[in-house]
Amino acid sequence: MTVPAINVEGLRFSYGDLEAVKGISFDVQPGEILGFLGPNGAGKSTTIKMLTGQITPKGGKAQVLGIDISADDADLQAQIGVCFEEKNLYLNMSAKENLDFYASLFGIKEPETMEILRRVGLAERAKDRVHTFSKGMRQRMMISRAFVNKPKVLFLDEPTDGLDPVTSASIRKTIREEADRGAAVLLTTHDMFEADELSDRIAFLNDGEIVAIDTAENLKLKYGTRSVKVRLRDGAGVREEHIELASDGSSARLAELAASPDLLTIHTEEATLEKIFIELTGRGLAG
Amino acid sequence: MSPKLTWKVLRKDMAIGPRSPLFLWMIVLPFAMTLILQVAFGSLFNPEPRLGIVDDGSSEITAQIEKMDGVTLTLLDDAEELKRQVEANDLDAGLILPAGFDAAVKGGEKPDLQFYVGGESLASNRIILTVTAIDLVRELEGSAAPVTVDVVNFGTVGLPISVRLVPVIVFYALVMAGIFIPGSNLVEEKEQGTLMALLVSPAKIGDVLTAKWALGTILATVMATATLALNQALGGNWLQVLVVVVIAASLSSMVGLLIGTFAKDSAMMFGLVKGLGIFLFAPTMFYIFPEWPQWIAKLFPLYWIIEPIWHVSVMGGSISEVWFELAVAVGITVALIPVVGFVARRVQAQMAAR
Repeated sequence: MTVPAINVEGLRFSYGDLEAVKGISFDVQPGEILGFLGPNGAGKSTTIKMLTGQITPKGGKAQVLGIDISADDADLQAQIGVCFEEKNLYLNMSAKENLDFYASLFGIKEPETMEILRRVGLAERAKDRVHTFSKGMRQRMMISRAFVNKPKVLFLDEPTDGLDPVTSASIRKTIREEADRGAAVLLTTHDMFEADELSDRIAFLNDGEIVAIDTAENLKLKYGTRSVKVRLRDGAGVREEHIELASDGSSARLAELAASPDLLTIHTEEATLEKIFIELTGRGLAG
Repeated sequence: MSPKLTWKVLRKDMAIGPRSPLFLWMIVLPFAMTLILQVAFGSLFNPEPRLGIVDDGSSEITAQIEKMDGVTLTLLDDAEELKRQVEANDLDAGLILPAGFDAAVKGGEKPDLQFYVGGESLASNRIILTVTAIDLVRELEGSAAPVTVDVVNFGTVGLPISVRLVPVIVFYALVMAGIFIPGSNLVEEKEQGTLMALLVSPAKIGDVLTAKWALGTILATVMATATLALNQALGGNWLQVLVVVVIAASLSSMVGLLIGTFAKDSAMMFGLVKGLGIFLFAPTMFYIFPEWPQWIAKLFPLYWIIEPIWHVSVMGGSISEVWFELAVAVGITVALIPVVGFVARRVQAQMAAR
């Protein structure tokens, strides 16, 4: 059995009286992307902060690459990559200087800086100072910095938040490449499309608790309802009819409509992660 | 804590530091203050009287003037060149001492003395040089002065204000480089969030703080030494001065680090320095106003760095004479280490919890 890259059992944290993470448990295997999906304040970033040693858990235990996170072990920091939600780059340094500096902290004597910048499409701006970069470019820099030490575990906090679709797609591709290389990825997002497309498994986080964790497909099958949308001509207009496939008489009704001369289109409808999240938590993902 | 990681952070700070306007300000300010104070109180535009002499007979007058403080002497071979320089205002006055002048004066003759005065020279310089020349001739002749001059000092007898202001300028250099630079550098890391990025790498908070402290110490040492040199206070005992300055710089940097650790943002950092300004600068006031009770100065922590600098550099004293003050300064620096560490850990936790 493979040793998980991240193993968490009953992890807790509170800000004063506010319990932000309420005893969550999960694991992430090498090469796997686990998406933490939840609204703002669900406890996603707090979990990452605990696992990367920024804050000390108030309870439970967690191991990253077999090292206890409370040990404050430099060996652990040397093997992880972190992409913060906040863009924290040295604005007065060039892209290359930023990456070279971080690589030096990891003891990398000949960093593959240009190769990393090329992967995120910033090679041509390597010598430009970061303060001249757009928001999307800075985000790509953040991602590239997390890759600089070829980490075995990647913690990515909202890596595509607020970016345009093209930049987001490019970043998702790069993350997938890292997972294919064998890195375990813990990704937080409130973008259900991103979670669906990128994650091997998804954990729904709400009010500091994991309410469900599984593959997107299984979640949809388990919690979602499959339906069919039928569009029919209705005089001068068009009318729609939704049929839930699991309901009584759905097959007969579908056959009846399919035979109708007014039939225009039939679409299958799959439950979205957002619908499932709402069903499970009673709240949306937007916040 | 790792010396290697500390060095890497320090090297990064040294590389990007000059890109900050504060860095430029740190360099410019002590130089500008020196210039302003020299204009206001010193002798930048009030140079010593410049006298040129063509001496054809190794006169005692030339030898006497050579020994004098306060007169700049130029020896020339050619009378025409002397006249040219006086006319061009390169000299305030020129004196031609022919061969046998001393013997003629001593023999009771009344030889001609050619004394040229520059038309553009300052009246004060002309008077000084004329009176000096007449005085020396009278001395050579062996005759007594017709009057006895009794010098009575008015006001406090002491060092000129331009000298007493040296501690203020040096202190400025220490504050700018030793307090502002490491403090603002740390605050900037907090504001931009780069501190958290550093702390999820193998670097620890101790590495980062040590690098900032070293940055402040190095810069403050360089700037304070340069300021002392600019103010002619770096004499033959420069090595002792350097030791004193390094100790002073290291305490300043520790204070800067404490302020930088405590301050949440740049506004708070500048507010703290402004608020603490009178407390920090208070000891220097006692050098400007020596009539104040000097023991009060000892109540301020930074007195213990400014007094050794004053004593060893400005007064030309020995380091052994200020060992107690230096020991106190080192003691304060060491005592601040755990305080900075404690505040830093608290701030780190607060930052992560945001």
